[in-house]
Amino acid sequence: MESSENNQENSSKKWTSRSIGSSFQHRFFYALIHLGGRRLAYFFLYFIVAYYIIFRPSIRRKSYYYLERRFSDNTFLKMMFRSYRLSLELGKVLIDRAIIGILGYDKFKISFRQRETLRNLVKEGKGVIFLMAHGGCWQTALAALSYLNTRVNMVMRKEDGDVDRHYFEHQSGESPFSTIDPDGYLGGTLEMINVLKNGEVLCMMGDRVFGNLKNNVEAEFLGKKALFPFSAFKVASVTGAPLVVFFTSKQGADKFELDLADVIYVPENMGRSGEKFKPYVNRFVEHLEKYTEAHPFQFFNFYDMWEQL
Amino acid sequence: MAVNKEELKEIIIKDLFLEDITPAEIEDDAPLFGEGLGLDSLDAVELVVIIQKHYKIEIKDMDEGRVAFNSINSLADFIGEKQAS
Repeated sequence: MESSENNQENSSKKWTSRSIGSSFQHRFFYALIHLGGRRLAYFFLYFIVAYYIIFRPSIRRKSYYYLERRFSDNTFLKMMFRSYRLSLELGKVLIDRAIIGILGYDKFKISFRQRETLRNLVKEGKGVIFLMAHGGCWQTALAALSYLNTRVNMVMRKEDGDVDRHYFEHQSGESPFSTIDPDGYLGGTLEMINVLKNGEVLCMMGDRVFGNLKNNVEAEFLGKKALFPFSAFKVASVTGAPLVVFFTSKQGADKFELDLADVIYVPENMGRSGEKFKPYVNRFVEHLEKYTEAHPFQFFNFYDMWEQL
Repeated sequence: MAVNKEELKEIIIKDLFLEDITPAEIEDDAPLFGEGLGLDSLDAVELVVIIQKHYKIEIKDMDEGRVAFNSINSLADFIGEKQAS
């Protein structure tokens, strides 16, 4: 969580959500989707990703931070290939996201076994906090939550100059979810509390730090300590809202799976320090590790998560 | 109805687990967030609930938060006005 009042609060942000593609490249893919659907867009994607991996080493190296920790048998060629696969999967997810916006949500099959569990959590009336990660296609997840009949709110920022569109931006209708700007007054915390009071869903990302360093704690991830934010757990503690660890994964060309990996209730009166939140953050990170074991090429953090320590 | 500022400070210190600070050290017109008392955005989450718990006052949105969370003076005025209405 971030506050615009305090410059120090920006001190830990090492990543960017800005697309590496130009506006033209994005429009090119949107046109391909209109003309030939997913297959045509995927076909061009294979070549374009190969170009970036072979001729843009700076792009390739951004994937090495994660891949070096995820795999132990890395050689130059294996890293090249794995970097290609990781970037290709990200490209496919971005195309899928555009397909939902351009061609419709019914182009995909979504599997979600814990639908009733989630419905019952919403019925508790305290709101539900989704703690997610940059894996799979999170926007697919949000689109699949309409059955809950409650508003979904996502804490997110859009970087200046970003040309990539969210899927709902391809349509003229109302956005299926609201956004809360973490750069807003007091990091958007007042809005977060209010949406939970209204029994709504609040989605936050748990795998990237930003904001004041003291709002993050260390946890061992893929064999080395990295920083993770505990703000979602703090909000859960103060409001009494259940926190669900929620992941999405691509299971096939047109198949996605949603997984409610854990439900966590954080007790109140946890204090200001992050120490008491560590066990809860560790629980999330353990689930994240399992996710990267099951889906090694669907975790999209292209920066050195471990460098901050 | 005037709110007892010393009592408000004590509640904030106790419920926010502020260490090494006494009510006398909190200036009435100093900013609560950033410089001044040094609270941050995560403390704001707790502060909203504290105000609701002790004074039965809801801070409903950012506009109200901006007014209330400036200083001890503004927070006491905000609570007083809400209780009177």
